[in-house]
Amino acid sequence: MKKSPIAMRVLLLSGALVASASGCSGTQPPRAGEGVATSAVPADLKEEYALFAQRCSKCHSLSRALNNGDHDPQYWARYVSRMRRQPSSGIAPEDEPPILRYLNFYSAQLRAENGGVDAGAQQ
Amino acid sequence: MRASSPLVLVAVLVAVVAALFVPAQALAVDRTFAGSAQIDYHFIPDRASREGQATQAFGGFTLEAALKLSVDVSDHLSANVKVCVGCHGFETDMAYLDYRFADELNIRGGRFSPSFGAFNLRHDPANQRLSDKPLAYDMGRMLRLRDWNMGVLPSPFPDNGFEVNGTHWFGKSAQADYAAYVVSGFKADTGAADIDFVQSRSGSLYYIDNNERPSYGGRVALTTRFSQFRDMTVGASGMRGTLDPKNDLTYTILGADLAFRLDRINLRLEYLVRREDLDVSDPSRFKYDVPTGGNYFLKHGGYAEVELPVTRDLDMIGRFDFLYRTGNVLTTSELKARSAVVRYTLGTAYTLERGYRVKLSGETYSFSDEGPTGHHVALSGHVGVVGTF
Repeated sequence: MKKSPIAMRVLLLSGALVASASGCSGTQPPRAGEGVATSAVPADLKEEYALFAQRCSKCHSLSRALNNGDHDPQYWARYVSRMRRQPSSGIAPEDEPPILRYLNFYSAQLRAENGGVDAGAQQ
Repeated sequence: MRASSPLVLVAVLVAVVAALFVPAQALAVDRTFAGSAQIDYHFIPDRASREGQATQAFGGFTLEAALKLSVDVSDHLSANVKVCVGCHGFETDMAYLDYRFADELNIRGGRFSPSFGAFNLRHDPANQRLSDKPLAYDMGRMLRLRDWNMGVLPSPFPDNGFEVNGTHWFGKSAQADYAAYVVSGFKADTGAADIDFVQSRSGSLYYIDNNERPSYGGRVALTTRFSQFRDMTVGASGMRGTLDPKNDLTYTILGADLAFRLDRINLRLEYLVRREDLDVSDPSRFKYDVPTGGNYFLKHGGYAEVELPVTRDLDMIGRFDFLYRTGNVLTTSELKARSAVVRYTLGTAYTLERGYRVKLSGETYSFSDEGPTGHHVALSGHVGVVGTF
């Protein structure tokens, strides 16, 4: 049997993975790239979100934090603190409070959009 | 280190498992479970580079997948365990405990990649916009990988040992980092002509040392903020150790890195060099005469890359990287006393969904040697998708 061209096989695999991803999307605020659409960020948190988006995408994509689920303030405080201490993180101690304000809002937003259920929480 | 390394690993694993089963409410333990997977198709048009001899490149599909668990036991104690699978097989990439006295003083013990260079922190395929790593850090995706024995410092390079590290901010505009470590070090057999990277990290060898002399090294870096969203990081790294069971063959690796982050644009430059002793007790093994003082080789590597956001979903990436080796080689080697490879890469990364990205890239290699293909120039391409959670 004649083998299908390599490009076709790659295309089929990519298509299957894309289809599986689109079918897995959960209830989350609308995205913009790896981040959150500005329409989903309140006016009084836009500066906090901008800081989060810049600082937390230096070493990894924003999805690392945003797909992490809904967590309580203590969890986010330790999470951000651990990230801040990463070498050359560029996250200053003064950056933590605004980043945490946005992440705590994001968790509450997730909770509300999932009907009050802690969707994605790790504990 | 022969006896202590397995004990350290066991102690870390026991501590992490214990942390997992301690009631979360009692200690307010926070756990983060994360992972990534990348499937990549490496297209190599010049099939002669792969036929008729030992594999010179991994063409076709390669999967790299990782699962990571981070546990914050308290504000001072945390643990990380990460396992991954790729063309190197199954690997324990991390299994360590951090005890933090202050931001400026953290003690790390277990299995981890010692702090070296800027790239290794981003070595997970989900943290890169291209499918493969810079040549200096290549761990098997480059063409002619057997001739070159991969990069200067194949990344990641997990090892067993201890590290002291810390970070300090000077006001709001400067961050200084340091790290110093002792680890078991890279490994090779007696009389080897280069590092044996498989032996150095293979789980089938139980992650034990082949000699009792730890390797050591460190890193310093300074990050300076120009404005709220613009900064620069400059760093220097070094490590030194012995490869063989008799501690006769010494290696030294030095590195320097410079990175700019200008809003969403990333510009990175990095250079590494490895000096490694050769066992010249039997000169007939070598392709060239062994002059006095000719018992070592140097392997240089570097890259410059730019990540440029085109739209909110699409990034363009350009990279120039190289390897350059000087010194004697075995008679069986395709390399010469001076050999070089230069590569140009142009790629894109498109975000389909948050945490889900398609990567496309094309590469042009220019080798100083004809090698097994009879050509100096070779092309290859990557089509990959990567997901993270």
